[in-house]
Amino acid sequence: MEQATPRPGAGPAGTGVLAASMRVFDLSLGRMLWSRRTIFTALVAGLPVVVALVLRTLLAFEVPVMQGGVTGPVVFGLMFWGFVVRFAIPVLAVFYGTALIADEVEDRTITYLFTRPIPRASVVLGKYLAYLVCATSVLLPAVVLTWLLLAPIDGALAASFPDLGVDLVIVVVGFVAYGALFAAVGTIFDRPLLFGLLFVFGWENLALALPGQLRRASVAHYLQGLVPHAMPADTPLDVLQRAMTGAPGVLECALGLGLVTVVGLLIAARVVSNREYVLEH
Amino acid sequence: MTPVISAAHVSKWYGQVIGLNDVSVTVQPGITGLLGPNGAGKSTFMKLVTGQLQPDKGSLRIFGEPVWRNPGIYHRIGFCPEQDAFYERMTGREWVTALARLGGMDERRARDAAAEAIARVDLEEVADRRIGGYSKGMRQRIKLAQAIVHDPELLILDEPLSGMDPLGRRRAIRMIREWGRQGRSILVSSHILHEIESMTANVLLISSGRILAEGDVHRIRDLIDEHPHTVYIRAADPRGLGREFLAHPGVISLRFEPNALVVETAAPDAFYERLTELAASGACGPIEELTSPDDNLQAVFKYLVRS
Amino acid sequence: MSLVHDQSYRRYTGARRPIGRAWIVILRTTLGALFARRPLIGLLLLSWVPFLVRTVQIYVVESYPQAVEVLAVSPRTFRDFIDFQGLFAFFVTIYAGSGLIAGDRRVNALQIYLSKPLLRTEYIAGKLGALMVCLALVTLVPAVMLLIMQVLMAGNLALHRAAPGLLPAVLLASMLRIVVPAMVMVALSSLSTSSRYVAVMYAGLLFVSEALYGVVARATGSTRVAWLSLPRNLDVVTDAIFRLPSQHDAPVVLSALVLIAFVVASIVVLERRVRGVEVVA
Repeated sequence: MEQATPRPGAGPAGTGVLAASMRVFDLSLGRMLWSRRTIFTALVAGLPVVVALVLRTLLAFEVPVMQGGVTGPVVFGLMFWGFVVRFAIPVLAVFYGTALIADEVEDRTITYLFTRPIPRASVVLGKYLAYLVCATSVLLPAVVLTWLLLAPIDGALAASFPDLGVDLVIVVVGFVAYGALFAAVGTIFDRPLLFGLLFVFGWENLALALPGQLRRASVAHYLQGLVPHAMPADTPLDVLQRAMTGAPGVLECALGLGLVTVVGLLIAARVVSNREYVLEH
Repeated sequence: MTPVISAAHVSKWYGQVIGLNDVSVTVQPGITGLLGPNGAGKSTFMKLVTGQLQPDKGSLRIFGEPVWRNPGIYHRIGFCPEQDAFYERMTGREWVTALARLGGMDERRARDAAAEAIARVDLEEVADRRIGGYSKGMRQRIKLAQAIVHDPELLILDEPLSGMDPLGRRRAIRMIREWGRQGRSILVSSHILHEIESMTANVLLISSGRILAEGDVHRIRDLIDEHPHTVYIRAADPRGLGREFLAHPGVISLRFEPNALVVETAAPDAFYERLTELAASGACGPIEELTSPDDNLQAVFKYLVRS
Repeated sequence: MSLVHDQSYRRYTGARRPIGRAWIVILRTTLGALFARRPLIGLLLLSWVPFLVRTVQIYVVESYPQAVEVLAVSPRTFRDFIDFQGLFAFFVTIYAGSGLIAGDRRVNALQIYLSKPLLRTEYIAGKLGALMVCLALVTLVPAVMLLIMQVLMAGNLALHRAAPGLLPAVLLASMLRIVVPAMVMVALSSLSTSSRYVAVMYAGLLFVSEALYGVVARATGSTRVAWLSLPRNLDVVTDAIFRLPSQHDAPVVLSALVLIAFVVASIVVLERRVRGVEVVA
């Protein structure tokens, strides 16, 4: 059988997945970073900063907004858990992750990528890496800014600095795990966004609220185990839940999140490699 | 010689709709036109040939290799898709360079190759403008540039002339013929007959998911013996010519038009022989124009589809 | 009269629908396209499950008076029912609404529509009407049906005599939960050519405002900031319509003003975005 022979200047016949992924990453990063989606990401990421600024302004005018012995680090912890971990990370991951391939299919540009001498899996992986850089580069500075604004209120920056380091790792890890999960969802379903939102705001809330082992089928459970701040527990149900469940250990969290990431990416790569994309005209 | 494309009993279904029906065909090096009306199965064939779709039945090979899930083959293939879809915010140069990089070239080589490909399609002046601001003709040409950027052996062009103005079409046709002369194999699809005719005489006729005929258009025409052949003759004395041909056994019908005679014959060879004699003798005055409306793809296609 | 009939083009000489009623055509075709989607039908059917549960509740209360202690039927029953239907309304809004105008913009159908004797307001009214019909099927219709079931099973109007404003409250609260989400969604749908982005924007608007409220409420220890959240504003105004004590301390007028602001902003967006020709800078 005659073998494919590359023309002068072209790459080797079997470009490796990682090398090809980096090329897709190069192509995708600029497009992702300078797109309207980044405006949405910045709006979401900027909200805690705005809230922190408003709080600081009100406190500067001695308006008693923080009552009941609430300190800056506590508010930051609340924001980190309630807004960043439970909202911003999954929502941005749904937004980017489900669109990795769907965007190219919808724009009918997938043809250009799938008729190049690169494995299809590298398209998924390259775009996934671009999403990670894009999402973290917007959210991480926002978290740091929020911390800088809130932590000094009745607290010391130095004291909460180690927690900030853990928080930043959680942001990255959260994007990694949720992104891989929704990349898989985006390749499997025709309406991945609905499934993504149902998972984040339906299933995860339900799984965390129920006793038993169901919560292990959620990403939030493992992220929750890594969060160094005290969880908000202002309702009897919260207290009951906390008493019944207990936080998972760091090793269990790392294993759970790693498994979600690996399985998610494998599924996404496999589906994309085997799927025929019939583009609408 | 290994055929460029060989399809054996290839079928493709979209649910309950059949896109391609038991197609067996081989495409040899050179320019080949894939011709058929809208919905004939041209795009399905193109997508199968470029490995975007997998045959439900049969096998399809490019240069002797399977194409589905064989990314290495894309070093040898350049594809210009039909859809008018781009990364609109990128400049033409950035886009072609990025796609060249995906082909495995390093940054510098990719830049050079992109510049060369852009020059070949005459887009240097607008190469650094965003594709979103390109005219339809420019968009078609930048698509052609990305298809040739890695210097492929086989170019697959899906409706490459659609949306171009007449001048742009002429230029694109010239480019495609030039690439063919340089030794590339080209499979080009269109539903417009004279476009294909102006590029090649070697065609694949497709309709309703089936290949109706393949090969040289004139030879295909010759094979259709029973199909009457129409000849248009503009002459000084069309009625005199008509009198002469009334007695000719192969002539089926005669029709007079202003200063012209339209003859329908079942024996074109004998007819042309007699016509040459008449022209040489000058018996019916000078003959100013001789055309055969049937000796084109339109007639062949109409005939094959009807049958 | 000639035996050979005129074969040339003949202009339409029949009656024409007067200008101002073409929105019905848009409404009808949009509804036809929406109801052709099986998942939407499934979602609409699923949204009637709470109605069945509440009907059983009413039956039990009317059949076994001792159950009144636990399952009493009161205005709050209907208020809670409308609140619960909000979950289905959210998914129906996203599924049916996100592509309403975005789909037309994507295929440049707007300029075709608006080149006909069709006013922009009629086009918007048709699209809006289609989404409102879908939302009415999960909010207004089941709520009114529940009222009817209560009267039928009780065999008297005692509840209505005890709470004379119940019927208007059910109608008004349902309409509130139809009009505001529909206006917001249709406006968002005019902002993009991708129904996925529209869906993300809508979900983001709801969840961002809700997450923001959650964080600020916890930091300040007060629910006076409920006006920050779109869903909470609906809750506050709904409570006021039913004349029930609100779960939030936010002023009703402020919440109503926020909702009105959303509707006004939606109208402004629609006025600017729904045009036959888009000028790209």
